[in-house]
Amino acid sequence: MNEVWLGLGSGVAFGFIIQRVGATNPQKMVLAHLMKERHIPQFMLLVVMFAAVGLFGLEAAGIGITRVLPTSLVATGLGAVIFGVGWGLSGYCPGTCWAAVGEGRMDAVFALLGGLAGTALFAQLHETLIPALYMPTNLGQLTLTDWLGSPALALVGLLILFGGGVFLIGKFWDTQND
Amino acid sequence: MSQQDTGKYWPILPSALALAGVMVFIFATFGPPASSSGFVTTLKGFFLEFSPDYAANKAHYKMMPGPGSWLMAFVLGMAIGGFFAGRTFRGTIEDVPEAWQKRYGPSRFKRYAATFTSGFLILFGARLAGGCTLGLFLSGSTQLAISGLYFGVVIFAVAMVTARMIYTRGGSHE
Repeated sequence: MNEVWLGLGSGVAFGFIIQRVGATNPQKMVLAHLMKERHIPQFMLLVVMFAAVGLFGLEAAGIGITRVLPTSLVATGLGAVIFGVGWGLSGYCPGTCWAAVGEGRMDAVFALLGGLAGTALFAQLHETLIPALYMPTNLGQLTLTDWLGSPALALVGLLILFGGGVFLIGKFWDTQND
Repeated sequence: MSQQDTGKYWPILPSALALAGVMVFIFATFGPPASSSGFVTTLKGFFLEFSPDYAANKAHYKMMPGPGSWLMAFVLGMAIGGFFAGRTFRGTIEDVPEAWQKRYGPSRFKRYAATFTSGFLILFGARLAGGCTLGLFLSGSTQLAISGLYFGVVIFAVAMVTARMIYTRGGSHE
């Protein structure tokens, strides 16, 4: 029961913040994809940078609970392509559409219903698709630490990568909608 | 969005700090946050009620908790948080975004058909990849996971190309 209250409270805080920053507004997301709005993508990268530092601290203190998802070259990549088409089409992703439904956007209600249908179809095909697409190119739970040797170095690598992303978006995205 | 709405959103730096704080809290109390899993728990709840055998025999439902779980409570919380934020928001909230109207007109039917299709694709893709923008990209990258970085690069690239095809005429947004 405790778990449910923790999840609910975390969700309320999460949903409130992403509405306030504009991530639930598909107009903003579409403009971001068209390189005409830089705040949402920069926000996403900054969240990862701050959270990665925080999680590094948690792990140092021995209280972080992590679960690294495996990288499957085909399934992760193909899933990302299908996802990207859907995200570019509407400007919604799975998390933002729940918050956008609460916010009162009717088009998000349909995104959520479509999401339930997509989930149902995938669950039906799981026994066929996972062995065919996921398992053969599954490289396991790779992290930057495996590539760079030490967790601290990997964190610095991530901060440089994402910091560079924030900078490049600021440089190449149009600022007329600021 | 109209020019007057832009000032109603929070600046990104403090917002990113706040959301990262929520993420770190979740990493301390639950584990990596995820939202596409909430769709699976919702459906699992539906099938447990109406077709228990189906829910009990499908691998995708077996690997996820049902309703009454953190994952389910989290997505419901997201909707509640969005509700309170929407009620207290001074900007306009429209059912058909401006960029869509410019290209396809004000028809709600067309927009809803498009977002339904989009929802279908993002969840099918997310379940195949193992997570979504939050569960795979944000949570994964925070844990320095290669899967999260790989997924993130591909979704941004493909979404940028798709948005250009859907929302602009001949590649230029009028």
